[in-house]
Amino acid sequence: MSGSVPIDRFPFMRPCVGALNGMAAMNRQQLLRLAPALLALASNWAIAQTPELRLVTHASFELPKELLADFESKAGVKLSVIKAGDAGEMLNKLILTRAQPIGDVVFGLDNSLAAKAQAAGVIEAYSGAAAKRPAAASLPNGLVPIDYGYVTLNYDRAWFAKNKLPLPATLEQLTQPRYAKLLVVEHPATSSPGFAFLAATVAGLGDKAAFDWWARMRANGVGVAKGWSEAYYTEFSQNGGKYPIVVSYASSPAAEVFYSKVKLTEPPTGSLFLKGGVFRQVEGAALIKGGGQREAAGRFIEFLRSGPVQQALQTTFWMLPAEPGTPRDAAMRHATDPARYDNPTPQSMAANASDWVSRWTRVVLK
Amino acid sequence: MDPRGAEVALRLTPRAPGGSPAVAAWAVGLLPVAFMAVLLVAPLLRLLAEGGSLAVLSTWGDLWQDDYLRWRLLWSFLQAAITCVLALAVGLPVAWVLARFDFTGRALVLRLLMLPFVVPTLVAALGVLALAGPRGLDLQGTPWLLLYGNLFFNLCLVVRAAVEALAHVSATRIAAARSLGATPWRAFWRIEWPAIAPALMSALCLVFLYCFAGFGLALVLGGQRYATVEVEIYTLVAYELKLAEAGALAVGVLLMTGTVAVIHALIERRLAAPARAQGRPLQRPVGMAQWGAVMVALALLGTICVAPLAAIVWRALSAGPAAWAVLLEADTVAALWNTLRFSTAALLLATLLGLLHALAARHSMVLRAAAFLPFVVSPVMVAFGLLLLYPQWTASLPLLLAAYALLAFPFVAKSLAAALDNLPAAWAQAARTLGASPWRVFWRVTLPLVAPALRRGMAFAAATAVGEFAVTLFLSRPEWTTLSTLIYQRLGRPGAANLDAAMVLATLLMALALLAFVAIDPPERPSRHA
Repeated sequence: MSGSVPIDRFPFMRPCVGALNGMAAMNRQQLLRLAPALLALASNWAIAQTPELRLVTHASFELPKELLADFESKAGVKLSVIKAGDAGEMLNKLILTRAQPIGDVVFGLDNSLAAKAQAAGVIEAYSGAAAKRPAAASLPNGLVPIDYGYVTLNYDRAWFAKNKLPLPATLEQLTQPRYAKLLVVEHPATSSPGFAFLAATVAGLGDKAAFDWWARMRANGVGVAKGWSEAYYTEFSQNGGKYPIVVSYASSPAAEVFYSKVKLTEPPTGSLFLKGGVFRQVEGAALIKGGGQREAAGRFIEFLRSGPVQQALQTTFWMLPAEPGTPRDAAMRHATDPARYDNPTPQSMAANASDWVSRWTRVVLK
Repeated sequence: MDPRGAEVALRLTPRAPGGSPAVAAWAVGLLPVAFMAVLLVAPLLRLLAEGGSLAVLSTWGDLWQDDYLRWRLLWSFLQAAITCVLALAVGLPVAWVLARFDFTGRALVLRLLMLPFVVPTLVAALGVLALAGPRGLDLQGTPWLLLYGNLFFNLCLVVRAAVEALAHVSATRIAAARSLGATPWRAFWRIEWPAIAPALMSALCLVFLYCFAGFGLALVLGGQRYATVEVEIYTLVAYELKLAEAGALAVGVLLMTGTVAVIHALIERRLAAPARAQGRPLQRPVGMAQWGAVMVALALLGTICVAPLAAIVWRALSAGPAAWAVLLEADTVAALWNTLRFSTAALLLATLLGLLHALAARHSMVLRAAAFLPFVVSPVMVAFGLLLLYPQWTASLPLLLAAYALLAFPFVAKSLAAALDNLPAAWAQAARTLGASPWRVFWRVTLPLVAPALRRGMAFAAATAVGEFAVTLFLSRPEWTTLSTLIYQRLGRPGAANLDAAMVLATLLMALALLAFVAIDPPERPSRHA
C-alpha cells in the first residue's frame, strides 16, 4: 500500500487501509499457517466441481431431502432444483430461454401443456427404461408420466348440511337460481386447475354447450379467483370465504384430513364428480432440449419413477403414482376416484387452449 | 427566512466549486444509474424486442379500441387517484396529531404502521378479508375492498412522511403567526402546509404509483372485475406469452406513470424550501379536545392499518400449541436465517444506491424522476426480460438480491432527496469556508442532518426487502426458501394445519420486522432543548 493515500481525508477508511497494510507485511510463515484454511477452500471448490444437474420444476415440487440426497450420491451429481412458478408459467420460461436453456431436466409438465411443449421444441424425448414401462396414466411421446390426479369440484360438507341444499347432480343444475353464487373457479389463464376444469367442460359438454354453460354461470354469479391458493383460502366457505363449491383436486379431502388439527374420521370437504367437471391431470418429466448432463438427467427421470419417490409423492404433491403396483398411501384413502373424466386430446388442447381461454374471458369476465 | 427567498439564494449559490454540478451529479449517480440500466431498462427493452417492437406499435391502436382494456386502464388510474385522496384526507390529520402530541407508545405506533409492507400479499388479503370479508363487513366483490386494501398498505407512507416533515416546521414562525392573531387553521395553511407539501407530494406520488402498478393485492382483493392493468400484463406475459400485446400495454402504462413521476419531480424541486428550523417540541395532550384528537387518530390507524394484522395474529394465537410447533421445524429455522441474511444484504446495497442517487439527484431533474423507475416498470416484464437477457445468471443469488435492492432503494433515495432539499446550503458552505474537505462536510455536517430521513428510508427499504414483493416472479431454489416463500408454500396445500402454520409464520415475520424497524430507526430521545 503506497503512502500516497491521503488517509486523513477519509478517516472512516482507516481500518481498511490498516488491514491492507497488514496483509502486505504478512510473512511467509504466517501464510503457511493459513494453508489449512486455503486447503479447505480448495476442497470446497472441488465439491463445487461435482457436475451439476439442473432440474426445472413448478412451485409445488417437494420430495423428502433424504431421497434427493440419496439420488445425488448415487448419480454423483449435485442436484439444483430451480422452481419456475406455476406449470404454465414454467413452460413459458422454458420457451423464452430456448436458446440458452436454464435446466437439463424438467418435471411438472402435464397433459394440458405436453403438446405445446413439444410444438415449441423445448423438450427432448427420453427413451430409457421408465419410458418403456407401462404406466397407470399415459402422456404423449417424449414425456415420461410420473404421477396423476383429478381436477374436480370440492364442496364444503358443513355448508351443505347447514343450508339443507342437495348437492347438484349435474353442471346444468349449477345454473339454477338455488345454486346461485355457490361456485368459485380459478382463472384458466393464470391457473393450471382453472384451465383443466375449463378443458373438462369443453370435452364433457361439447364446444358450444360448454361456453353457453359458462355464460349462464356468469349470470348465476360464478366467482373467479387468480389461482388455487386464492380460491381455496380466500373464497371457499370452508376457509371463511363465500363459495361452498371450489375447483380443486380429488385428493384435497384426503389432504384436509392429513393436515387437520384434530383427528378426523371424515374429511370436512368432499369431491363432487359431475359430467364435464372432472379432468385427469398427468404430470411428466422430460429432458430439456439443449441441456447438458444427459446421463444424470435420465437417471433422475428413472429416480422419479422409483418405488420410494412414487410412495412419497402421494403425500407431498398429493397425486397418485404412475408406476403400476405402487401401494396407495394410507392418507390417500380419503381421496375417492371418479368413475369417469372428460379430457380433450392433447392435440386438441395444444391447438385450442388459447382460443378457449380468450373465449372464456370474453364470456365470463368481459 | 421567506421560503421563496431561500429558493433564490440556493439557485444563486454555486454548489460544487470547480466543476459543473450536472457533471458531478452524473458522476456520483453512475452506480445507481448503471444498476437500473442493467437490471431494469435493458431487460425491458429486450422483452419488447422479443415481442417485436413493430408489432408493439401496431397493436397500440387495437388496444385502445378494446373496451375491456380501456376499462382496466381507467380503473387502474381511478383507484390509484381515489386512494391518494383518501390517504391524504386520513393521513394528514393523523400525522398532525402524531407530530404534535407525545403519549406512551407513540414510537411503537409509528413503527407498527409499516408492518403491512412486510406480510405477504396473500396473508394481508386474508387479514383484510377477516374484517371486510363475508364474515365481517362483507365488501367482497366491491371496489371498496380494493380501496381499503390500498389504504391499508399505503397509509403508512403518507403518515410517516408527514410526521417527519411536520417535526421540522419552525416553531417560532407558528408562534409568531398565532400571536399576530392567525387562527390555528390559518397558521397551518400558511406556514405548515407550504413547508410539508414537498414531502407529502413525494409520498402521495409513491402511493399513486404503487396503486397504479399494484398487482398482488389487486389480484386477490379486486377479484377479476376490479383487477388492475398490471394483472392484465402479468397474464399476457407469464401465461399467454403474448409479448407484443403485453409490451404495448406496458409501454402505455409506463408513459402514464412516467408522466406522473416527471411532473412530481418538477413540482418537488420547485416547492423545496431549504429552511431548517427548530421544530415544536412534542407536548403531552392537555384537556378533552387534545386527548380526543389523539384517540381519534389512533382509532383510525387501528382500524385501517392494525386491525387486519391483528386478525392474523389472533388467528395464529388461537391456533394452539400444535401450530406453533412449526417454529421449531428445521425448514422454518433455515427460512428465518435466509430472510435475515438476504434482507440485510439487500438493505445494505439499497442504502448505498439510495444515498448515491439522492446526492446525484440534487442537481439533475432526470435523475430525480428516475428514482421512480423501479416502481413504474412492470415487474413481470422485468422478471421475464432478465431471464431472456441473462440466462446464465438466472437462479443465481446475486441476481435475486440485486432485484430486491432495486425495489427497495427508491425509498432511501426519495426520503433522502426530500431531506437534502430542506437543507440550507449555507451550512455546508460555512463548513467548507472553515476548511473542511467536501468529504468531511458530507460526513460531519450533511449526513448527521439527514440521518432521520435516511433511517426512515432504510426502514421502508428493509420492509420491502423482508416482504419480497416480487418474489414469486423470479426463479427460486428450495435452499433459498425465506419466510415469505414458506408461507406461500403452506398456502399452496389444503388443510387447516397449513393455514394455521401460515398465520404463525406471518406473525413471526411481523415480529422480526418490528425488531428490524426499531434497530434501524430507533425512537428519538426526548429533545434536550425542549
